[in-house]
Amino acid sequence: MSVAVMKTKAELSFAESFDHVQDRLPGSPAVKQVRRSAADKFAELGLPHRRIEEWKYTDLRSAVKDALPVRVGDATQMTIADVIVALGPLAKLETHRVVFVNGRYRKELSSPDQLAGLEFEDLSSVLSSGDENAAGLASLTARDDDAVLSLNTAYMTDGAVVRIQAGAELVKPLLIAHVRAGGEPGFTAVRNVIDVGAKASAQIIEAFVSLPGAAKEGQANAATQITVGDEAKVVHVKCAADTGDGITHLSNWMIRLGRETDYAGFQLTQGVSLARNQIFVAFDGEDTKLDLSGVFLGRGRDHIDTTLVVDHAVPSCESRELFKGVLDDQSRGVFQGKIIVQQIAQKTDGKQMSQGLLLSPDAEFDSKPELEIFADDVACGHGATCTELDKDLMFYCESRGIPSDIARGLLIESFIGEAVEKIEDEPIAEAVMDFARGWLSKT
Amino acid sequence: MLEIKNLHVKITEEDKPILKGIDLTIAKGEVHAIMGPNGSGKSTLAHVLAGRDDYEVTEGDILWNGESILEMAPDERAAAGVFLAFQYPMEIPGVAGLTFLRTALNALRRKRDQEELTTPEFMKLVKEKSAALNIDIEMLKRPVNVGFSGGEKKRSEILQMALLEPTLCVLDETDSGLDIDALRIVSDGVNALRSPDRTMLVITHYQRLLNHIVPDKVHVLAHGKIQRSGGKELALELEQSGYAEFGEKAA
Repeated sequence: MSVAVMKTKAELSFAESFDHVQDRLPGSPAVKQVRRSAADKFAELGLPHRRIEEWKYTDLRSAVKDALPVRVGDATQMTIADVIVALGPLAKLETHRVVFVNGRYRKELSSPDQLAGLEFEDLSSVLSSGDENAAGLASLTARDDDAVLSLNTAYMTDGAVVRIQAGAELVKPLLIAHVRAGGEPGFTAVRNVIDVGAKASAQIIEAFVSLPGAAKEGQANAATQITVGDEAKVVHVKCAADTGDGITHLSNWMIRLGRETDYAGFQLTQGVSLARNQIFVAFDGEDTKLDLSGVFLGRGRDHIDTTLVVDHAVPSCESRELFKGVLDDQSRGVFQGKIIVQQIAQKTDGKQMSQGLLLSPDAEFDSKPELEIFADDVACGHGATCTELDKDLMFYCESRGIPSDIARGLLIESFIGEAVEKIEDEPIAEAVMDFARGWLSKT
Repeated sequence: MLEIKNLHVKITEEDKPILKGIDLTIAKGEVHAIMGPNGSGKSTLAHVLAGRDDYEVTEGDILWNGESILEMAPDERAAAGVFLAFQYPMEIPGVAGLTFLRTALNALRRKRDQEELTTPEFMKLVKEKSAALNIDIEMLKRPVNVGFSGGEKKRSEILQMALLEPTLCVLDETDSGLDIDALRIVSDGVNALRSPDRTMLVITHYQRLLNHIVPDKVHVLAHGKIQRSGGKELALELEQSGYAEFGEKAA
C-alpha cells in the first residue's frame, strides 16, 4: 500500500509552472526531454525535508512557502552603470565580465572582448543548438536524486558555458555575474558549465547580487559544474550577496578534479534569508590538492547551510575545508562536511574545520563533520568550534580607545579573515572582505 | 592628578572583596610605584583603573583630573588619557598591528577633537616611535602580538603607549618575563615618556624595574590596602626584607 504524501503549495506550484513555461524554456527536443524528466522527478521527490538525513537541519519543505513566478525571457532595463552598482566591491576588480540579469544573458552588459584562452557561450544558445555535450547534459542526470538539482535542470534558463583551453593562463579573472533586478519577485534557475583544460590556470568568480530597488523577495537556484583537467590551477569564488528580505539561494557546485590539480574554492554567503550551498567534489586523479573554504553571515532569522561531500576515490590527494560563520539575532548556521576516503585512496590527507561565532544567545550553529574512512594509511582530522566574542580581546581593544562597536567589527573581521585569506589572490580576497564589511557595518 | 579614594572592589560574579579601601593620590608629572606580594590586588587595581567590567566598585571613587571615571567605558577612559600596559598583552589573530594601531589612534583623535591622521602621517609617526623602541616595522604588519616573544610583546605595549599619548600610564608588571636587555629597552621607552604632564603608576613585584624607572614614591599594597608608603628607598628596603612583614601583619 502506498501512502499519498500531501504536496505543499510550493511543491504543487513548482510542478505546475512547468507546464506553463516549458515551451518558452530554451532547448532542442533532446533538452526538452531532459527537462521533462527532471520536472517529473521533482514532482515525485518534492522539496527535501527534515526526515531526509542530509536535510535534517534545513527543511525546505517547511521553509519554502511558495514558488515565485518562474523568470523566462526577462527583459529588465539595465545599464552597465547599474551592473557596477550591483557588483559593489567586485566591480573594482579588473575582470572579464559576463552578465546575466534575472537569469538571462545580456551581451550588451558584458565585456566586449574575448579573453585569450577562454571560450564563452551562453547556455541558452548551447541548449538550443542541440550540442548536448557542450552543456554537459550527460552529467545533468547523474545526480537525479537531488530535488534542488532536478528543479534546476527543469527550469534553467541560462548561464555561462566556459572552456578554458589547455595550457592557457587567464590574465584576469572571469566574473560571472548573476544580477537580480526589477520590482517583480521571481524564481530564477541558472547553470554554469566550466571546463578547465589541462595545465591551464584560471580564476573564476560567480556573483549573485541584486540591484538596489529590486523586489525584496527572490528565489535563485544555481548550479555550477566544473571539470578541472590534469595539472590545472583554479581559484573559484562564489559571492552570494543578494540583499533583500526573503531571498532564497539554493546552490550546487559539482566539482571534478583531474590529476595533480590545485583547486581552491571559496563561498561567501550573506544577506540571504535561506541558503543551502551544496558542494560535491570527486577526485579523478592522484596528487591533487583541494582547498574549500567559506564565510557565512547571518542575522535576523537567516538560515545558511553549507553541505559538502568530498569523495577521495583515488590515492594521494589532499583536502582542506575551513568554514566560518558569524551569526547574530536568531539566525542559524549549518555545516555538514562529509569526507569519504575509499579503500583504494591510501595516503589521503584530509583536514576539516568549521567554526561558528555567535553574537547573540539566540543564534545557533549546527556542525556535523562526517568522516567515512575505508583506507588504512591516511591522515584525516576534523574540528568544530562555537564561541562568542572573546571578552578579554574586547577589553584590550577598548582600553586602547577603540569604541566597542568598532572593536567588535575588528574582531569579527579577524575571525572571518582566516577563511578569506585562503583566497590566494589578494585583490579578490580584499573584494570579498569588502562585501563582508558592508554586511557587518549594517546593524 | 589621580585621586583614588577609599576604593573597595570585588569580582563582579563573586562576593569576595579584593581591594578594601585604597587611598592614593598621584600628582601630575609624578611616577609612583606599587609593590606587593602576589595576590595583593595590584593587577586588580590596574584593571579597575582601565575600566574592566569583571570588577565591581562597591565603595569609594576614582577621580582623574577632578572627575570621577567610574561610570566611563574603557574607550572613554582611554580618550580621557588612561592607558593600561598589560602584564599579558593579548594576541589578535587576523588583525595587522598597523591596522590596530591606526584604528586606536584615530578613534582617540576623534574623541579628543583632533584631526585623524592620514596614512603617510601615521606611517611617519609609527616609524619614528618604533625605531626608538627597536621594533621592526615588518613586525607590525603581522597580526597583533601573534608569535611575538615576551620581550616583543612588552615593547609593542610601550609602542602603543607612545603612539596613543596617554596622560595616565598604568604599567602592570611590565618587567615580568623580560631579560636584562629587554628590560632596559622597555624602561628607556617608558622614561622617554616621563613628562610634567604625564602621571604614571608602575606596578611591580620586584625592585629591579625601579632601578630603571625611578619612582617619586613607592607604596606597598597587601591584603587589598596600602600598607606603607615612602620614597624610592622603600623599594630597596623591601628587596632586603621581602614582603613577609606584610604577610604577618594580616595573620
